[in-house]
Amino acid sequence: MRGSRRLRFARGWRIARVLLSTQYAYMLEYRAEIALWALSGVLPLIMLGVWSGSEAAGGLGLSPERLSRYFLSAFVVRQFTIVWLVHVFEEDALQGRLSPYLLQPLHPLWRYLASHLSEQATRLPFVVLIMAIFFLFQPAAFWLPTPGGFLLAVVAIHLAFLLRFLLQTVITMLCFWTERAAALERLLLIPYLFLSGLVAPLEAFPEGVRAFALLTPFPAMLSFPAQLLAGEPVDLAGGLITIGVWAALLLPLALWLWQAGLRRYSAMGA
Amino acid sequence: MLRRFWATSLAADLEYQVNVLIELLAVAGNLAGSLFVLSLLFGQGGSLGGWSWEEALVVLGLYTLLDGITSTVLQPNLSTIVTHVQNGTLDFVLLKPVDSQFWLSARTFSPWGLPGVAAGFALIVVAAARAGARPDGATVAAALVLLLSSTVILYSLWFVLAATSIWFVKVWNATEVLRAALVAGRYPVSAYPVALRTFFTFVLPVAFLTTVPAEAILGRGSAPWLLASLVVAAFCLFGSRKFWQFALRFYTSASS
Amino acid sequence: MPIISARGLSKTYRVADKQPGIGGTLRHFFARRSRDVQAVSEVSFTIEPGEIVGFLGPNGAGKTTTLKMLTGLIHPSAGEVEVAGCAPFRRQAGFLRQITLVMGQKQQLIWDLPPLDSLRVNAAVYGIDDAEAKRRIDELAGMLDLGEELTRPVRKLSLGQRMKAELLAALLHRPAILFLDEPTLGLDVNAQARVREFLADYNRRHGATVLLTSHYMADITALCRRVLLIHQGKLFYDGSLDGLTERLAPHREVRFELRDPPPAAAFASYGAFESQDGQQLRLLVPRSELTATVSRLLADFDVLDLEVSDPPIEEIIGRLFRQGAVS
Repeated sequence: MRGSRRLRFARGWRIARVLLSTQYAYMLEYRAEIALWALSGVLPLIMLGVWSGSEAAGGLGLSPERLSRYFLSAFVVRQFTIVWLVHVFEEDALQGRLSPYLLQPLHPLWRYLASHLSEQATRLPFVVLIMAIFFLFQPAAFWLPTPGGFLLAVVAIHLAFLLRFLLQTVITMLCFWTERAAALERLLLIPYLFLSGLVAPLEAFPEGVRAFALLTPFPAMLSFPAQLLAGEPVDLAGGLITIGVWAALLLPLALWLWQAGLRRYSAMGA
Repeated sequence: MLRRFWATSLAADLEYQVNVLIELLAVAGNLAGSLFVLSLLFGQGGSLGGWSWEEALVVLGLYTLLDGITSTVLQPNLSTIVTHVQNGTLDFVLLKPVDSQFWLSARTFSPWGLPGVAAGFALIVVAAARAGARPDGATVAAALVLLLSSTVILYSLWFVLAATSIWFVKVWNATEVLRAALVAGRYPVSAYPVALRTFFTFVLPVAFLTTVPAEAILGRGSAPWLLASLVVAAFCLFGSRKFWQFALRFYTSASS
Repeated sequence: MPIISARGLSKTYRVADKQPGIGGTLRHFFARRSRDVQAVSEVSFTIEPGEIVGFLGPNGAGKTTTLKMLTGLIHPSAGEVEVAGCAPFRRQAGFLRQITLVMGQKQQLIWDLPPLDSLRVNAAVYGIDDAEAKRRIDELAGMLDLGEELTRPVRKLSLGQRMKAELLAALLHRPAILFLDEPTLGLDVNAQARVREFLADYNRRHGATVLLTSHYMADITALCRRVLLIHQGKLFYDGSLDGLTERLAPHREVRFELRDPPPAAAFASYGAFESQDGQQLRLLVPRSELTATVSRLLADFDVLDLEVSDPPIEEIIGRLFRQGAVS
């Protein structure tokens, strides 16, 4: 029994390694596009521009350094938590590329997860470059997180990514019923945009709105890891529990929708 | 195969209603979010970059209006350029006895951006009235001219970006860069630090898209800015044409 | 013990009935009608291990739907199907390892990378260790005559090279059953022949069972001793290819060119007159009388050129279905 488990682990590890390296090679073919894509995540930096000149920041006691660090961290977190599953999956289902995947003894979602991770690896140098340029203009904002804090932030970013991936998987599965799954994703992006902390630090929210935002999964996807990265005091256990609870809700839902969706896909002619 | 089934399936029945609903929700959600963030930016204070709340709302209204125009005309047309290049069907367009840039820019029209146009327009009118703008003939004329020139600028930026699909296949990423950067137009340009203000005026002319027309609507427009806006618009349009001709030299009719 | 068995296999799609245009959409919105389309109905057959079976029928006859039911992509509406001892639609790993499906127009290779990268992924997914994978790739590449193509991005390959690479990827896990949907579609004649030889070779070496659809009769005649003929979802014929040609095309087509052609009626005693185009004439002659008729034609007329051929299978099948000769 132990032996077979070790064997399964070895096989899983090998699949992961091969999938990741192949997908990384694939993503490198599109490095120019990915660079542009990285650049398209500048929203937090634009917001930093507006916030740093606003009277509200002074009123809230947010120093320029603190704002810079927060928004730059938000930028980094956003870069590594972007999920585009719904778009590629829709395309694959339409073009019939999903069918061959279904005939292989590997859950197709693993492939998509691997390609997201590989895309992040491709994106990394561009993000570092944008950060370098940022610090060139704002040397005062430069900071080095503690090794422990940095490690925690990296873990939190990955968890935040997984949560977003899971949430989008749920939306993506609606592809099997409607052509408008991507539109739904676009709708869901709106509360994410305004409630996650991407365009304004959560501290700036009025009490009631903040309490409401914290009931949604969105702050855990951005504000929580961003604050960790920026070295701000943060409720570590609370953030991790939020991610865990949402993941526990979404995972069974995603798997159930996958099963039901496939039944429908096959009923429609695959 | 699947598309055909989908098109005729139960979901397609509600096609129009659902699309309208989604667009209305998106416009309402975006507008509510923008207003919320703007209110956070004002905080307890009374101004943002020297603009009052109502005045800043005119800027936001212009942004919403232009964003609606983007979804109605720019995005649907210019995304077809990408498809043409990918499928090699650009050949047919180039062989037509019509100016290819015109043909590619004015082919289709998507009604789903109209709620945004309407909401933006309404916000401009209401906010301008509350800001105490007195619309006389000259103000209205100047505002319309500036709005036209900002539309031309916006169009040129989009077109140039779409034309880069001749080099980059997955260019929709690039259009996202533009959309992301244009978000800066939600706020008056004077709200930004000097370096960014300069960038948004001279490099990426966001200032001319929303701030300058808003000044005119509020009756604060000046002849130099009007002139500058027209010059920038003419320059962008000319540039986009030149860029298109340049890009076509690299077009190697994709096979397959 | 058959490796594939289908009993009373049926598939019904529910399709909404909608007139085109806005009016149709509106009318459809208020009074929705849908109808059932019977894609496959009551199809039964069994296939023994190692057989190569051709699956014939006009477009839309239900061939692809049947293949998808046999591979488990589609759940049958009725009937039973068993492939390699499994119920396909459960798609258990043990079943998936034994089959492969190749669709001529669909590709599974990663477009921007060399086929070798996709092969590495497949090797990992199917749990084939590196040394064994290399051995199999070498063997299959040799059979398919693929070399440095494996290290060039797929998008740079010709259609024929791409198809061969697709076959390699589809066969790396050495499936016992091959489902091939138009594997030679769009290939030039040489590439078609190459693929055909490869399939015959693979079948011989590994004793694999092959079920194949093709528009090209040459594929069928070269590979299949047995064919299944399906039309409007129903199985019309199951038997040897020779039997099918005998039954469907008891005639052969004689094409000839005359210096001075008489009116069509003059050929009544030779065979069924088909068409005339200037000096070119076409007759249908029963197989048994072919030799006699040809010598008579040569003796009686001033023949410039003469050619005997089987009418194309599509034509044979088409004529057959029009006449309703099979039931």
